[in-house]
Amino acid sequence: MTALLKLSRVIDACNIWIGRIVAWAILAAVIVSTVNAIVRKLFDMSSNSWLELQWSLYAAVFLLCASWTLIANEHIRIDIVNNMLPKRVRDSIDLFGHIFFLLPFATVLVITGWPFFFASYRIGEQSQNAGGLTVWPAKLLVPVCFTLLLVQAFSEIIKRIGVMRNLIPDPHAERQHAAEAEAQEIIKAMEETDTEHGAKP
Amino acid sequence: MTAFLIHNMAPIMFASLVVVLLLGYPAAFSLAAVGLIYALLGIELGLFHPDFLQALPERIYGVMNNDVLLAIPFFTFMGLILERSGMAEDLLDTIGQLFGTVRGGLAYAVVFVGALLAATTGVVAASVISMGLISLPIMLRYGYDRRVATGVIAASGTLAQIIPPSLVLIVMADQLGRSVGDMYEGAFIPGIALAGLYAFYVFLVTILFPKATPGLPVEAVGFREPNGDRGLTSLAILTAASAVFAWYMMRNSQTHGADFVVLSMFIGIVFAFTVAVVNWAIAHMTGIRVLSFMAQQVTFAMVPPLFLIFLVLGTIFIGLATPTEGGAMGASGALLLALFKRRLTWTMVKQATEATAKLSSFVMFILLGARTFSLTFYGVDGHHWVENLLISLPGGQTGFLVFVNIFVFFLAFFLDFFEIAFIVIPLLAGPAEKLGIDLIWFGVILGVNMQTSFLHPPFGFALFYLRSVAPKESYIDRVTGKRTAGVTTGQIYWGAIPFVVIQCIMVALVIFFPAMVMHYKGLGTGIDPNKVKIEIELPDISIPDIGPPPAIEPPKIQ
Repeated sequence: MTALLKLSRVIDACNIWIGRIVAWAILAAVIVSTVNAIVRKLFDMSSNSWLELQWSLYAAVFLLCASWTLIANEHIRIDIVNNMLPKRVRDSIDLFGHIFFLLPFATVLVITGWPFFFASYRIGEQSQNAGGLTVWPAKLLVPVCFTLLLVQAFSEIIKRIGVMRNLIPDPHAERQHAAEAEAQEIIKAMEETDTEHGAKP
Repeated sequence: MTAFLIHNMAPIMFASLVVVLLLGYPAAFSLAAVGLIYALLGIELGLFHPDFLQALPERIYGVMNNDVLLAIPFFTFMGLILERSGMAEDLLDTIGQLFGTVRGGLAYAVVFVGALLAATTGVVAASVISMGLISLPIMLRYGYDRRVATGVIAASGTLAQIIPPSLVLIVMADQLGRSVGDMYEGAFIPGIALAGLYAFYVFLVTILFPKATPGLPVEAVGFREPNGDRGLTSLAILTAASAVFAWYMMRNSQTHGADFVVLSMFIGIVFAFTVAVVNWAIAHMTGIRVLSFMAQQVTFAMVPPLFLIFLVLGTIFIGLATPTEGGAMGASGALLLALFKRRLTWTMVKQATEATAKLSSFVMFILLGARTFSLTFYGVDGHHWVENLLISLPGGQTGFLVFVNIFVFFLAFFLDFFEIAFIVIPLLAGPAEKLGIDLIWFGVILGVNMQTSFLHPPFGFALFYLRSVAPKESYIDRVTGKRTAGVTTGQIYWGAIPFVVIQCIMVALVIFFPAMVMHYKGLGTGIDPNKVKIEIELPDISIPDIGPPPAIEPPKIQ
């Protein structure tokens, strides 16, 4: 079990690292889209490759940050009943969900996703829009996302078992309402920004 | 048994979904799992081809290349940056001062600023938290009734949901297969009317319970001239001059409705800003001022939000930009504003980026889960089952609208907006259209209705946001030095209830006065998506046909 818990820590660290890096694609998408909009209006020129680049960047963000969001427990739940249950039951529901909901979903998409990518890669599929991008890099995001998610599912299972056996503290011990967590994050961020701002002349 | 299962697959599947969702496992994966389990069952029962699930990656790819939903991260990012740019603080301070000793002045200021922030961006959390941090302590200091104060703040924050550019309207337009530009155009007047109703409620309170909403004491009103005058005449003249100037410039313009409002406001604010800057420069050099402090302060506080409104909404309404581009420009504009105010820091951009990434992920995964569910659900004709169920309701259009609204109002207690939008809305679109209901009108009605999901005690999100910033314990007020009691959760709940009622009144108003929304028709709104793509005739490349009949897919909009 100790070895497994160590493995789970490594998986978590990798997925958080990937998420944090990929998140910057949001800023890239903002810039690409703004520049594209201005150029399109002012010089009446644009290219489908820029339009496609925007959604590809966004797709990379929401797909590759999914595991990180799972680690942070930010995938939204309908917790109205759940919150009334004893901790033991909630843990079991989580474990059950990881094994019977998340794992099969990720598995099916890993099994179907890789052939989906290879089919496109083999023929060097080009976008149907004139001047568009090559398609396979975007399609590659699907199997990569679900492979990462599959690996993360194992890590979550290990952690939940660890929690249930009292081997590790519960990473989501402070089960608050999602909105509460969100608000606290915003307030914390505001305070940090303010201190930083205050420190400057 | 098998025959029963085959015939009643859709209802059984729907019931399972409800049970599974209530377990409280992340909704995205629960949805997907129910879809998969029934897909496997369907294959086993011979309802589907064994290759059925091969369609899944293509479905995910379909969600990926959706240009409309790309606006979600843009507007979220914009909201998060703006929230830390200090814009809301400046506005609340200045507008609160402007109302001065008027009874209920601070509450009016909150409604006004809430509407203004809502028109700038679409993030409820940001608005509620800013107003809760800045206005609530002032309201408590001068003896506002706690229920009125918290209710006004929470409700005004939720205006971000219905006044364009809101995330809700984007997702709604996408799910109903309509243009976001039209949805914005249609929601504009109901959104403003709703803010008007909030202000009217404040007015009623000031009449019925004068003690609940006192005006500021004279000594707390700032921005005075050296002779003690408040300088309101100067502000009134400046406002009138800007309005006349805007009207003069716009007198031959062909625009109507929201376009006209936005453009005129833009011209007016440019005028006022120019005057204020010239005034400031002259005062700096010669010491002679034409405008009062108040007039100058109000102008400077109003310029950033109005400029952003023009940059985002204005460009969308006149057809200069698609909503997605408008979002990107707004995000860039917010970054520039923060830079201009010398508040832009690396940490701030990093936090905004990471928060946006995680929000995008959870929202889009609910959609991915819903699409996985619908692959099977539509495969077993679930949408026809729902359609027949709803069309057979008595009362035709009105009966349908009343039923659907009560249903959604009830769902809003448990589900958050994105879950309702991705699971329920697509099922309602078909029947609504069959009954001859305009889908933009339908979308706006549901949008106003779903705003209540933020205000319902005890799970409304806006109430949680406010709880997080409202003082729980009694504290010593910074200005008066008096001990002030904290705000109880019960007070927040009670404060929200009148606004839930107002929300229901507004839903009824939109249902009975469709003209509020329907003016979107016949206006050259939004942008022709075909113009964005560069079209060149290409030889017909056949794409492998995927999954269930194409009719299931909502019409693709660029």
